[in-house]
Amino acid sequence: MNNDTDAVIVKLEGVTRVFTQGKVEVRALRGVDLEIQRGEFTAIIGPSGSGKTTTLNIIGALDDPTAGRVLLEGRDLTKLGRGELSRIRRDRIGFVFQAYNLIPVLTAYENAEMVLALKGAPKAERQRKVMQLLAEVGLEGMEHRRPDELSGGQQQRVAIARAIATNPAVVLADEPTANVDSETAERLLTIMEKLNREHGATFIFSTHDPRVMARARRIIHMVDGRVDRDERRDQHGAPA
Amino acid sequence: MNPVVFAWRNVWRSRRRSLVTMAAMSFALLMMILYTGLVAGYMGGLERNMLDLEMGDMQVFAPEYKRDPSLYTLIEDPGGLLAKLDDAGYPAAARLIGSGLAAAGDASAGVELRGVDVARDKSVSEVYQHVIKGAWLDPAQPQGVVLGGRLARTLAVSVGDELVVLSQASDGSMANDLFVVRGVLKNIADGVDRAGVFMTADAFREFFVVPEGAHQLIVRRPPARELDAAAAEVRGIAAGESVQTWRDLMPMLASMMDSITGAMLFMYGIIYMAIGIVLLNTMLMAVFERVREFGVLKAIGVSPRGVLTLIMLESLIQALLAVAVATLLSIPCFAYLTTAGIDLTAIARDISVMGLALDPIWRAEVGLGTYLYPIAMMLIIITLAAAYPATRAAVIRPVEAMRHR
Repeated sequence: MNNDTDAVIVKLEGVTRVFTQGKVEVRALRGVDLEIQRGEFTAIIGPSGSGKTTTLNIIGALDDPTAGRVLLEGRDLTKLGRGELSRIRRDRIGFVFQAYNLIPVLTAYENAEMVLALKGAPKAERQRKVMQLLAEVGLEGMEHRRPDELSGGQQQRVAIARAIATNPAVVLADEPTANVDSETAERLLTIMEKLNREHGATFIFSTHDPRVMARARRIIHMVDGRVDRDERRDQHGAPA
Repeated sequence: MNPVVFAWRNVWRSRRRSLVTMAAMSFALLMMILYTGLVAGYMGGLERNMLDLEMGDMQVFAPEYKRDPSLYTLIEDPGGLLAKLDDAGYPAAARLIGSGLAAAGDASAGVELRGVDVARDKSVSEVYQHVIKGAWLDPAQPQGVVLGGRLARTLAVSVGDELVVLSQASDGSMANDLFVVRGVLKNIADGVDRAGVFMTADAFREFFVVPEGAHQLIVRRPPARELDAAAAEVRGIAAGESVQTWRDLMPMLASMMDSITGAMLFMYGIIYMAIGIVLLNTMLMAVFERVREFGVLKAIGVSPRGVLTLIMLESLIQALLAVAVATLLSIPCFAYLTTAGIDLTAIARDISVMGLALDPIWRAEVGLGTYLYPIAMMLIIITLAAAYPATRAAVIRPVEAMRHR
């Protein structure tokens, strides 16, 4: 592989996703072709029903395409079994969800630690990494709080720490700022930008939030299950 | 995160539901443990009464005796046979059996007379411990007899009263003698209660003119020896005589005792099936409430097997807590049931099963099996009930799970 190919971390080739609701077929994706480079900070935008979340789900191996190929770091996810997909999600993909989706019976520390434990990381390494990440997202001293003892923004920061803990190839964030106030949203984006910059983590957002779009260096516009426009920007937000 | 700790916390996230589920499990298990102990007590009491008071484990007769019981059909050398049985480790005692008519005052009744070797008989029968009035036989008082309770009432006699017994002796002469009631037995078996008259072997021999031989040997087996194996050995020792086990002598009772085990398993099955359905419902609710969470777990990389293990662990924790609670609660229950027992005298004073009297105080008996079988069955049912929702949660696709509301 040459360097250009190595730089492509996610590749969708003619991806179609058809949902069946009763007798009605809904075509959520209609032949999407897409390449995401390593280290990108990308926003997928578009109106409701345009296929943003479905695209993220398919990239994240949460859903299977009806047709087409999905390659993550060169591996075709459509050819893998459930166990292998679980391992890929565990080791190579981080998720940040709109509704935070932390495990309610685990503390902030344990939520972030869980993915490392699943990966089999030694306890000392887990402790060092999780404490470092919680400090980076501004949650020092809150390690032992459970989700119901944290604000929405704090919960989303735990989710970000969890998503980044295993040094995944890509972090998929589905409307991560939708349930938080403006100040918290800005703070979350700053954190994710910092993690993108310092850890080299690739972020792909699905969003309606102009604040996310303003910080994204690539914006993919989706309409009716297709990529309508693919826009790249420099670090100042100007079209590249 | 330790999966057991994770499962433990999940159990307590819906505290009330978990407590209700565990209470149902504990109650069912406690009932099954107590039921098992009480059935064991019932069976044990029945078996003890039969073996210790009436039958022994085996009986030896002259070959024709069981077909045609007769005063003349005797084991010719009971002394030699008893010595051989002693050497082989089988406690045994000879008895003489005859029938006659007993009369006291204006009352009379047909009786079955049993001549026992007072010293030896204690090694095979505990009947001597069941005298409720007076005392057991004493070789020093050969005219003393011990009567069944109902017979004593029929004849209206008590300790110290005289009793005339009439029969035909083996030499064809009229046998008649005056005996003194020395003791009255409590009910050990219908036959003994209604017509049993125990006397010393010497008194019997003199009364019936039977100088030698015996009609019956009562044989016990060492506790570790299986009945069939013991019977085979005794048949070898008593070659030429008829050896029958208690199961041969009382086939209906043996069959009933065997069927009680089956009935007990059937009872277990019904109760545990009910508990299994309750548990299945609870586990289904617990799983479907958390489908979205299982989706998240799968999204972050927990394998289907990991989800399955987590749910099974949650069920196992609840089951083990229920086992602990039921076991603890059973201790005071058994402390009462094994000592005071359940008094059935209000229902019936004399309870008998197929002619064998039962103690009207129903006491439980506790052993390893009292706990082992109900607990094992409980764990199996819980595992089966949890397997379905756990499997469903394990195989659901993450995206479907996360869309679940």
